[in-house]
Amino acid sequence: MKLRLALSAFFLVSTVFAQDGGGLTASEPTGPSKPTPRTADGHPDLGGFWKGDRKTKPVGNIGKDLPGFKLPLTPAGQAALQFNLTKTIDPESLCIPGGIPRHNASGLPFMVLQTPKYVAFLYFYTYYRLIPVDGRKHSDDPDPSFFGEEIGRWEGDTLVIDSIAFKDEKVWIDENANPHSDKLHVVERWSRPDADHIHVETLIEDPKFYTKPFTYQRTWVAGPSGQVLGEYACSENNIDKDHLGPGPGDILPDGTRGYADIDPLPPPIKPATPPKH
Amino acid sequence: MKRFAVTLILLIPALALAQGDGGRRQSGPVPTGPAPRATNGHPDLTSYWRDDGNANPHGNLGKDYPGFKLPFTPAGEAAHKYNLEHTIDPESLCLPGGLPREDIGDMGFQLIQSGADTIFIYQYGTFRDVPTDGRKHAEDPDPTYFGEEIGTWDGDTLVIDSTAFKDSKTWADENADPHSDALHTVERWTRPDAGHLHLELTVEDPKFYKEPIHYQRTWIAATAQHTREQACSENNIDVSAGHLGFGPGPIRADGTRGYDNPDPLPPPPTKANPAKTILPANYH
Repeated sequence: MKLRLALSAFFLVSTVFAQDGGGLTASEPTGPSKPTPRTADGHPDLGGFWKGDRKTKPVGNIGKDLPGFKLPLTPAGQAALQFNLTKTIDPESLCIPGGIPRHNASGLPFMVLQTPKYVAFLYFYTYYRLIPVDGRKHSDDPDPSFFGEEIGRWEGDTLVIDSIAFKDEKVWIDENANPHSDKLHVVERWSRPDADHIHVETLIEDPKFYTKPFTYQRTWVAGPSGQVLGEYACSENNIDKDHLGPGPGDILPDGTRGYADIDPLPPPIKPATPPKH
Repeated sequence: MKRFAVTLILLIPALALAQGDGGRRQSGPVPTGPAPRATNGHPDLTSYWRDDGNANPHGNLGKDYPGFKLPFTPAGEAAHKYNLEHTIDPESLCLPGGLPREDIGDMGFQLIQSGADTIFIYQYGTFRDVPTDGRKHAEDPDPTYFGEEIGTWDGDTLVIDSTAFKDSKTWADENADPHSDALHTVERWTRPDAGHLHLELTVEDPKFYKEPIHYQRTWIAATAQHTREQACSENNIDVSAGHLGFGPGPIRADGTRGYDNPDPLPPPPTKANPAKTILPANYH
């Protein structure tokens, strides 16, 4: 019998994160807002350890800001969604990068490091993306990748990341297994309105799978200073790999996903000898 | 049964070099002048760094030893034999190379230094994150491939002290030299001028080595390059089909490794005899 197992991001990393003494989400800071830090070249410094703010619901759903969470799928997009739900295993559970925009909809924290020519986003599962911000343009025929070809530029105090050339196989655009095609074009507008917040406005265009562009916006809260991303060796003892079923589990009315009616857990095992302290 | 040695050199060129990434010709002019400094006054080690071609034999922790002979203890000797005969190259299974292996490989890497964080980004999409904020080692850190890494500045030298390493499925270098959970590495990184990054590495592992091992090398700044996405687990059909053998191939007299006499390649495909691609049964 094939075990169907929904691997949510939370499920996988909770043990890793418990060691760092910080939760996956952060509370709204209290007290007066502190000014946005700036780098030596005058731009806002987006660097920090960023955590979800608990108000972002449903997490992992790229249709979060649309009425009823309904994405404007084309017939081809509808078919691709059905394929993802019934035939594809969550790529992240196979240790394949989540890519963009999936990482922006994720419930997991991330880290940003900013230098004058590059901005690096570092994610759980040891994925990263490195965005050049040096005036270059998109290349003529970029190779497809999970994060796409990403080009950054500053528009005032906003870092704009324009991404094209995405893979169209074994990709989910979010944790609900929504699809994207190789026509995906993502424009992210990142800003840091004050020291404790980072904000993104994401424009998602994919004329093959979506009848019109749509947007996704979100705010994260600064984590405590000194927090770092722990090492995560995704391929180590990934014994569930061969036991995973397709899809993310049922899509629930609140826009999240998962198997709601799992068998109850067995009673806890009594230790043979009580632990000594 | 076919034994198949996946070395870094074999795996990478088609992916990275084709994108103009690992090739030295595309690496841009070597910057000159003094090392740049960060706003906090420390040298700024940020750049893409490529191998200078002098760390030979590449991938060998014992490169600076006579005959490349490492000072193994009997337990270390046995662990090396075990690695050669019973372990698959962890990197070919998409596990992090860890330390000290990543310092010894000849692939370039990206270093980003920002405030109290220093990030090393390697090929295969692996990175390590070194906090340099005055913290000390934890009392009982969890073992990892890169260890618990603590950075400090000693004048203009970034010192990274690492403990708490995993001791299974790890190779200390590309020759499958071993390390135990008693491994302790101290890296001393300097940028003597804008164009160069230098490492003095000390590897202590009293379980497997009779004395501390010293290893040093230099990288060159490659301003026109940066690391690219690499999805190691994507179509890693050599793993899912069980094609990988143990060890890195025979260790050669020159300190490198590999199979020198592979079977001759089949003739190139023609219209009459097209190439056949056979995917493993469990390939998704």
